[in-house]
Amino acid sequence: MLLSVFLVLVTVSGTLAAQELKEFHVFMGEPLPDYPGSTIIGDIIRAETGVKLNREYLVGDLETKVGLMIASGDYPDMVIAAHFTSLLKDAGVLVPLNDLIEEHAPNIKRLYANHWEMLQQEDGNVYWLPIQAIPYGPDTSRYPSLGFFISKKVLKEAGWPVVKTLDEYFGLIEDYVKKHPTINGESTIGYLTLFDSWRSFATTNVPQHLMGYPNEGEFVPVLEQDRFVVRDYHTSNTAKAYYKKLNEMYNKGIVDKETFVMNYDQYIEKLSSGRVLGTFNQFWQLESAQNILLRDDPESIFVPFPVVIDGLVEEYQRDIPYVQSTQGMGITVSCKDPVGAIKYLDYLIREDTQRLIQWGIEGEHYEVDENGLYYRTDEQMALFRDPDWVQNVFGRQYFHNSFPSLRGVDENGNMFFPDTQPHLIYSSSHDSEKEVMDAYGVKSFSDLYNEPRERKYFPLWTITMPAGSPAHIEETRMKDVLNGYVPELVMSKPEEFEKVWANFVRDISPLMEKQMEVYQEGIDWRMENW
Amino acid sequence: MNTSTSLAVKPNSFWQKLKQQKALVLMSVPFLIHVIIFKYIPIWGWVLAFQNYWPGKSVFQQTWVGLDNFRDLFNDPVFYQVLRNTLAMSIIKLVMGTVASIALALIINEVRFMPFKKAAQTISYLPHFISWVVAANLVRDALSTDGGIVNDVLLSLNIIKEPIMFLGIPKLFWWIIGISHVWKEVGWGAIIYLAAIAGIDPSLYEAAVIDGAGRLKQMWYITLPSIRPTISILLIMNMGYLLSSGFEQQYLLQNGRVIDYARVFTIYELDYGIKMMRYSFATAVGIFRSVVSLVLVFAANQFAKRFGQEGLM
Repeated sequence: MLLSVFLVLVTVSGTLAAQELKEFHVFMGEPLPDYPGSTIIGDIIRAETGVKLNREYLVGDLETKVGLMIASGDYPDMVIAAHFTSLLKDAGVLVPLNDLIEEHAPNIKRLYANHWEMLQQEDGNVYWLPIQAIPYGPDTSRYPSLGFFISKKVLKEAGWPVVKTLDEYFGLIEDYVKKHPTINGESTIGYLTLFDSWRSFATTNVPQHLMGYPNEGEFVPVLEQDRFVVRDYHTSNTAKAYYKKLNEMYNKGIVDKETFVMNYDQYIEKLSSGRVLGTFNQFWQLESAQNILLRDDPESIFVPFPVVIDGLVEEYQRDIPYVQSTQGMGITVSCKDPVGAIKYLDYLIREDTQRLIQWGIEGEHYEVDENGLYYRTDEQMALFRDPDWVQNVFGRQYFHNSFPSLRGVDENGNMFFPDTQPHLIYSSSHDSEKEVMDAYGVKSFSDLYNEPRERKYFPLWTITMPAGSPAHIEETRMKDVLNGYVPELVMSKPEEFEKVWANFVRDISPLMEKQMEVYQEGIDWRMENW
Repeated sequence: MNTSTSLAVKPNSFWQKLKQQKALVLMSVPFLIHVIIFKYIPIWGWVLAFQNYWPGKSVFQQTWVGLDNFRDLFNDPVFYQVLRNTLAMSIIKLVMGTVASIALALIINEVRFMPFKKAAQTISYLPHFISWVVAANLVRDALSTDGGIVNDVLLSLNIIKEPIMFLGIPKLFWWIIGISHVWKEVGWGAIIYLAAIAGIDPSLYEAAVIDGAGRLKQMWYITLPSIRPTISILLIMNMGYLLSSGFEQQYLLQNGRVIDYARVFTIYELDYGIKMMRYSFATAVGIFRSVVSLVLVFAANQFAKRFGQEGLM
């Protein structure tokens, strides 16, 4: 109703409105090519809101960018800076949103209601809106969030084994490399591990997953007599066994010689060449390579497994979709029209806008069946399988990434994300993906994993060290030691491994105490207040 | 030379001279203002180093901490590593860069075939105009173990049996920085020496030829001594940059494996200062660098004067 009135107004005032667009400068802490200027959903959103965004996407290192932004005192109108959003709040850059939301943003208030306690900072104010709200209930996705990925070729040749332990995983890869020393004329790469600057967690986070944990960050909270106690895993026996295995594989030539000096672009390039047989990572870090493989070389796609250190560990690596309450989009003190800004965000988060951004226009980009469930025809599906079209013509990324959005089930039982529509996960998969799912008798790759466990505080890594505090300095030091030793652990000669490991434990152990205190306090606080 | 005359003039000569050179003095005023605004006024920001600066408050509302930031700095084991790396890489770059530039200038100067001379000069200074972001990727590709040109050449010449992961060997990092610096800057650096060589009186060479000096002797006895003032002035000026040694080059070529040898002051200020919002600490590091640089410049100046060269001051 209101919408149609608005539309009429827009058409009537036509050219006039085009000239009187409100402009907001937004900084987003992730890289994306500049907005193409006009996209299917972007044009609709612009017409309905009368807002033009001047977008600034991340170039280079986010931590540096945020530090410099704060030091310079020159802020955009709206900002989202991933893990470093809280630094902006500490520096007094963000304005409290409580009153703005109360008066001007009924949809935000309604849709974030479930998460409201988590969003309140110690002073009782809300400073940012997390990029996802789950108002009606969680969903599952086609791919789990992390895993040991292995090339489909390897599984197929070995007769679709279920990969459970690290030894089995590398055994399969080793056998395949022996039989096929080259792929497409170039040497086969058995295993790649990503180690590029801040992304090095793809290598150093692994021990906790081998112990069965989902992604907690640098430490794991262990349940001891009804209390979650923060413990270190970097020096655990599991970590030792993991690095020793990588060391063995490196010396056998299975792990790529270049793996510790390549940057992220080179990593993606190698993965998408189809020469790589295995890598551990969080799925979003290799998603772009997987999409290229699906298009160009579908037999070489990667399949995730919840690999653990030995048969005794029971894994629960999958996480329940959660709201990243410690980061999100905020409005800065430089914004001249905070009411306009919050109204724009309120418009974006509405269910019908979300449906537009995720599904598109009914009849054009999706259909509704007799039960009210959404689906896409084969032609529509083909459109959405082309990443270039989705990004540059449809425009999904430009209104979904970084902006507040909805996730999970909607009010009618459909999913906000087409990818997670339960009856569509399997049927909308690529034939190559279906072949793997059929072989393992699952309907999504997430089904290869155990059910997640409910942990109220989850996850630990969203607790941040106070800026510039001794714990913060200790954290940087610890990561320095970790980043210095890990390549040495893997690349040293097998007979030197024990010595390097002893030095590593000696150097890293004294650099944990202060951080563990901060994490423990945070966990205890969350268990009590969330 | 005119010092001898100015020594003898009367006390009010300053004003006379000022009047005499009025036009020159007036012309230099804008530059003086520029220097004051951009080089002296910002020094005021050094007060941050003695505070625990937190953005969003004015400078007068900050807490004063005295010398705490400097104490933190000198107690930090990473600091000494950073100092070593910065000095080592600066000296390697300075020595290799200067020697290579002079050598290139001498060689180009001897070439008599003009088209080749021009082409050689252009090709050698072109890399200077590439930003390090691009150049670092070129270096990475060239040194790659996966089809990099350096390894390919060494392999095909049977000098090595296995490709070497150059960027992964900590001790090699300084030299990679030095050599890639030479590759990028050698032609650019040679220009100033070429200009100095062009200013040498040709009659000196003619006299030398009559005395029977060959090409090499001419270079050694005429060209090099004639450009000695240029070399020493450039060296003195570069002394001031010993504790800077660049940022992009190291930042873009480093990786976790070699960080112990790659971290220089600028990266240290970023990682342990600005990224953690320790602006005061970063300022303290900056002050330390400035003071040491000043001492180095003065020392080099004295050194040059003692060895009979004209100094800067």
